Amino acid sequence: MLSVINLTKKFGDFTAVDNLNFKVERGEIFGLLGENGAGKTTTLRMLATMLKPTSGTAVMGKYDINNEPEKVRETIGILFGGESGLYDRLTAAENISYFAELNDMDRKSIKERIDFLAKSFGMEEYLNKRASKLSKGMKQKVAFARAIVHNPDIMLFDEPTSGLDVGAIRNVHDFILDCKKQGKTVVFSSHSMSEVEKLCDKVGIIHKGKLKDTGSIDELKRKYENDSLEEIFMRLVGDMNEG
Amino acid sequence: MKARHVWIVFKKEVKDIIRDKRTVITNIVIPMILIPLINILVGGGVEKLQRDIEENITITLSETSRTDEIKNLVENEIFKDKPNIRLVDTDNPIDAVRDADVRLVLDFDSDYKQKLTEEKPFVIKLMYDKSSTKSEAAVSIVSQAINEYNMRLVAQRLTQRNIDLEILEPARVEPVNVAKEGQGGNMVLMMTLPMIIAILVVVGGIPAATDLVAGEKERNTFEPLLTTKPDRASILMGKYLTVTLFSFVSIVAIGMGFVIGYIINPNSITMGTGEQLTGASIPPLALVLSILITVILGMMFAGIQIALSAYARSFKEAQTYLSFLIFAAMIPAYATMFTQPADIKVYVFLIPILNTISAFKMVLGGVIDYTSLLVALVSSIIYLAITLAITASMFNKEKVLFRS
Repeated sequence: MLSVINLTKKFGDFTAVDNLNFKVERGEIFGLLGENGAGKTTTLRMLATMLKPTSGTAVMGKYDINNEPEKVRETIGILFGGESGLYDRLTAAENISYFAELNDMDRKSIKERIDFLAKSFGMEEYLNKRASKLSKGMKQKVAFARAIVHNPDIMLFDEPTSGLDVGAIRNVHDFILDCKKQGKTVVFSSHSMSEVEKLCDKVGIIHKGKLKDTGSIDELKRKYENDSLEEIFMRLVGDMNEG
Repeated sequence: MKARHVWIVFKKEVKDIIRDKRTVITNIVIPMILIPLINILVGGGVEKLQRDIEENITITLSETSRTDEIKNLVENEIFKDKPNIRLVDTDNPIDAVRDADVRLVLDFDSDYKQKLTEEKPFVIKLMYDKSSTKSEAAVSIVSQAINEYNMRLVAQRLTQRNIDLEILEPARVEPVNVAKEGQGGNMVLMMTLPMIIAILVVVGGIPAATDLVAGEKERNTFEPLLTTKPDRASILMGKYLTVTLFSFVSIVAIGMGFVIGYIINPNSITMGTGEQLTGASIPPLALVLSILITVILGMMFAGIQIALSAYARSFKEAQTYLSFLIFAAMIPAYATMFTQPADIKVYVFLIPILNTISAFKMVLGGVIDYTSLLVALVSSIIYLAITLAITASMFNKEKVLFRS
């Protein structure tokens, strides 16, 4: 459902992402685990067609990010970490509807979808309130709904729990698991071992732009004969730091 | 680029901005209130000053001139037909002028009476305060009145000698105004209106431009927007059209402000100078060309504003960059405030901002040169194309959009 093939991104002489290769199947959560500056966000930005790869490509569903970026964007939903990124002067419904319209949904489908999402996330009471009047938790739910309003097959999460409190982190985790349940392909970047271990079917350890190793968590544990993902991560990253 | 996507972005941005009370107040409400208020206040002030200068001119006599004879001469001879000039008594005449209690002090030659009888000239010193507009203006009004007295006296003397009064006027001056109707009649408007239009067109879109790109980046809404289906050109065009719209909203609000001011007090539009607004002589083609040049200037600056806002890392950085545009508009606007339309060279019409100011000066001054207007129009279109190309390329540059 998602294949990353020799994906590389250079900014001048600096190689931010270096020849990345991995595959994620439908209904699978792939965790991109790495420290700050490892290349996670750049990778996700390329997958979301915000940045153009210097070389290599990725096939998102049926579409190539280099050849059909518009189709790719139609296929993906994305959620960023930190502030929910809503338009404060628009209502919750208008925020969701704007993204639905931009994804070429018709009015009837938008209404039906918003009603459905409002029920799913329990947003009925504040659907017509301006985003500026909503609590952090409410805003987060609106951001979830906005990300999946067009029912994308692929979900990209860029450090979605960064800067959130415990309750909000739990909401994000539930949302990611829900996406998996719905059969969506999920790529999830994080620097937290525990949430990667909790959520991901497969993990790719990225450091200084290079994918150090990839596989299911069990596979990695067996391969490195260690029960702690943190130990494995430090060993891989440490190797590279030394190298 | 898809028109549907452009329309969705445009519609949303307009709705978003209209809900921002600050922008609505700055762009719409303030110009509609401020313009009539300024015009009426300044106009009222000018009218009052004019009235004060011409009416209630108080004069006094110097200590050496304070005799009943001179008082009588002043009140019943020199200023007998001048009810606006009034002689008053003061203890200290010079201080009275300095304190603005009187406008002038008249000091007569001590032997004035003898000279008058001998038909020899005598001197009346007019002591005034140059730092006071009213005192300075009174000098010419009082001098004029004294000249009239001189003429009456001379006429009387010539009549006594049986000499025809025409001897006094070997050549008579007769000024004839040959200007077309309306030319030069809108002096105040010609100075202020082009300047206001140019400044507003250049700066009117700044709040919207700051909010629509730099603001989005700061609120973390920009990246999610870029991951939606529309291409960047559609998103840029939707935002660009919004900024363009708001560049002109201020102009419309200013126009309404002038209309409101005119309804409240028709004199306010020429700031109380008493000039009549003459619009009948403006050729429609010249007006249309000037409006087109202005629209293109606004579109060009909307592009520059979006480009600067996209380049900025934060809302504040965008505000700093965009504030330079205010200077870019104000410097040429003030520099050409007193330029007369007939003196504007053709090359000036090649310079953005100056071309708009010059075009409106021409239209309001009634001195139309279509070659200059066409030069302005064609050059403006070229500048617009260049600006939009640069803006579009910036909006597609990863280094610009993801600067951090």
